[in-house]
Amino acid sequence: MNPRLRAALIATAVAVTTFQLVTFYVSGWPGSPAPLYVFSTTVVLVAYLVTGLIAWQRHPDDQIGLLFTLTGYAWFLPQLINLHYAVPFTIANATAFVYQGCLGHLGLAWPYGKLRSRADRIVVAANYAWNIASPIAANLFWNPRTTGCSASCPANLLMIVDSPRLYHDIGLISTLLSVPVTAAVIALIVVHWRRSRGYARRAMNALIWVSIPVAGYITILNVADVADLSQYNVLIYQVGPLLLAAPPVAYLVAALRARRARGAVSSALVSMEPGPHPAKLRDALARALGDPTLQLASRTPGAAGFTDTDGAAVDLASLPAGRMITPLDTPGEAVLVHDAELRHEPELIRVAAAAASLALEHARLQAEIQVQLDQVRASRARIVEAGDAERRRLERDLHDGAQQRLVTLSLAIGIARDRAAGADPDLEALLESASKEARAAIAELRELARGIHPAVLTQTGLEGAIQALIERSPVTTQVRAVPSGRFPAQVEATAYFVVSEALANVAKHAQASAAVVTVREQPGRLEVEVRDDGVGGARAGSGSGLSGLADRVASVGGSLTVHSPPGGGTRLEAVIPCP
Amino acid sequence: MPVTGPESAAAPGPGPGPAPAPGSGAAPMRVVIAEDSVLLAEGLRRVLADAGFEVAGLAADAAALLRLTGEIRPQVVLADIRMPPTQTTEGLQAALEIRRRWPGTAVLVMSQHVETQHVVELLAGDPRGVGYVLKERVADLAQFTDAVRRVAAGESVIDPEIIARLVARPRAGSPLESLTDREKEVLALMAEGRSNQAIAQQLWMSPKTVETHVGSIFTKLDLLPDAGDHRRVLAVLAFLRQ
Repeated sequence: MNPRLRAALIATAVAVTTFQLVTFYVSGWPGSPAPLYVFSTTVVLVAYLVTGLIAWQRHPDDQIGLLFTLTGYAWFLPQLINLHYAVPFTIANATAFVYQGCLGHLGLAWPYGKLRSRADRIVVAANYAWNIASPIAANLFWNPRTTGCSASCPANLLMIVDSPRLYHDIGLISTLLSVPVTAAVIALIVVHWRRSRGYARRAMNALIWVSIPVAGYITILNVADVADLSQYNVLIYQVGPLLLAAPPVAYLVAALRARRARGAVSSALVSMEPGPHPAKLRDALARALGDPTLQLASRTPGAAGFTDTDGAAVDLASLPAGRMITPLDTPGEAVLVHDAELRHEPELIRVAAAAASLALEHARLQAEIQVQLDQVRASRARIVEAGDAERRRLERDLHDGAQQRLVTLSLAIGIARDRAAGADPDLEALLESASKEARAAIAELRELARGIHPAVLTQTGLEGAIQALIERSPVTTQVRAVPSGRFPAQVEATAYFVVSEALANVAKHAQASAAVVTVREQPGRLEVEVRDDGVGGARAGSGSGLSGLADRVASVGGSLTVHSPPGGGTRLEAVIPCP
Repeated sequence: MPVTGPESAAAPGPGPGPAPAPGSGAAPMRVVIAEDSVLLAEGLRRVLADAGFEVAGLAADAAALLRLTGEIRPQVVLADIRMPPTQTTEGLQAALEIRRRWPGTAVLVMSQHVETQHVVELLAGDPRGVGYVLKERVADLAQFTDAVRRVAAGESVIDPEIIARLVARPRAGSPLESLTDREKEVLALMAEGRSNQAIAQQLWMSPKTVETHVGSIFTKLDLLPDAGDHRRVLAVLAFLRQ
């Protein structure tokens, strides 16, 4: 809104409110006004004027702010009666019900100040006409000094004939007709409410709740003119007006809620971390925007049209009436399809669209990274597997090749030595030493082959292979449990590698007197634990080979934990997934 | 035609127990060799023939070994632990199968692996007439043919390298610590499958002294003292693997 216009409106509102308050005390009417009455009428005035300003500010293109403001001034006009002079007295009496016309207009134009149909316009016009015309008509025949007021009342400048009878009859007709007019307004409000969907529904729900006290109060007020309800005067005239503050209050509550909705959009997204699912994102946005009909539609790669999160096709070219499209700023094409009423909340839609774009982009990147991660994991597993296979092949080649040849050679030397026995002691001694060399070579080659890949692991599985490890361990080692069954080669190799490395570390660094190896089979995994009573303080990356071990376990999707408080021994645990 | 199962137990043949010494005038002892390396198989055949055995068949894999054993019914089978097609433990499995079908046939398994697991598996049944030696033992012809003879005679033969591994293994608070060095030597030989007689000869002591040591070992290790020569191999092995 133009700052000058805003300043002028605020100044007017303050002036009018001050003026109304002043009128109570400079009125000249006998007696002072009831404080409760002063309070209620002022609250209603301030409520409409303030809400009008806020609505004008929020939606400068909508008429709702203007309607609230006009209703506020319409409410102010009858208060002129407080001034004990003929002109204000006459104006106040003639305009006593204009605000009721404004209220009808407000109700049918709720929530954006626009009338929807011809029926609306007819009813609003009739309501205005009736509430303006009937008091003027009645006033033409009303002499306040003789009817309903006292001799001290100011003069009614509109009076042309003093006819208490006509005044009374016109008042009665006016009252009787006000009931169907009010009923028509309410009926149309109910129709609007029933037709409302999506975002508008919430605002219409509020209106329904507000219409009940307002319509009820106005009816009572009108009936009170003809029926004698004087024993309820305090309730009707002093407390009752407060009910008229319901529409502005409802509007302000909705405005606050819309402001909060922007925060709700981001908090809805935050609560979805990590990895928003499109259906969840839609639900969160629908909740945050207050539009349960919201759709998040995207074009699936390769497909022609858009589909929503339930997989239903969405034809953007021929949307039903009352729907609106907000495109999202994402590399893949995606749009929000929502209730058209949300165009009145452009800021909210903008925030929601930005948040949705961000979430979708996030999800896309996450999916991309996940794919890459899966590929890297698979390739790491393949590399380790290929390495293992290569080691097995090397071991087999050594066994079937060099080792076998050396054995054959030993045998040949043995035969030769046998032949030389007794005949040539020098040759015998030479062959004996050759035989020793060959045997030493065999023994060395055997340990080398074993280090490359223990054949016993492939041959008999973990039980025998771990038994062989503890037999070779220089530290007293006990096996608490090892499953005797067989597992996939990768699982066995990894478990073996863990125990082997752990025992090597125990021997090298732990200064332990004893170690315990436990391997347990759990559903879907193998748990390997090696603990010792040594000095502790082992850390991955401290040259203990632990980081290599962690990499190795991770290559099959497992995890390695090391508990090694200084002085408290070392406990190494590996969990290896085992399909 | 292979004879299977229970009949073979009753069939006459080389049962556990002293077999006639080759070259002593009786019929030579029949041996079947299973070894996929042709050169080595040929060398073995020659060594055993020279030592007075009758090498009645050569097999290059486990299936051929079982077939030949059924046909020839040798007193001893010499089998490489790793043979085609999988190059894992076919020889061991074939040995166990032979022991099951023809319990009287002695089996000596040759291996490149120092693995107690294989030994335990092999000896799990009746340990009489069963042996496990490292292949490089063939370098010492006398020691090697002696092992074949001992298995044929119904003894249990376990490679000293494997026993050395078990005896040398560190143990905290084990009763093994309380054995004297002499007793440890006796224990190792017991585990190899040697009889008291053989131990006495090897360690240059009287059989009486060996008996005393054995009794003391059994007491210290809390083993059953009345285990026979063959059962005690299992008992000692089981203890050593604890």
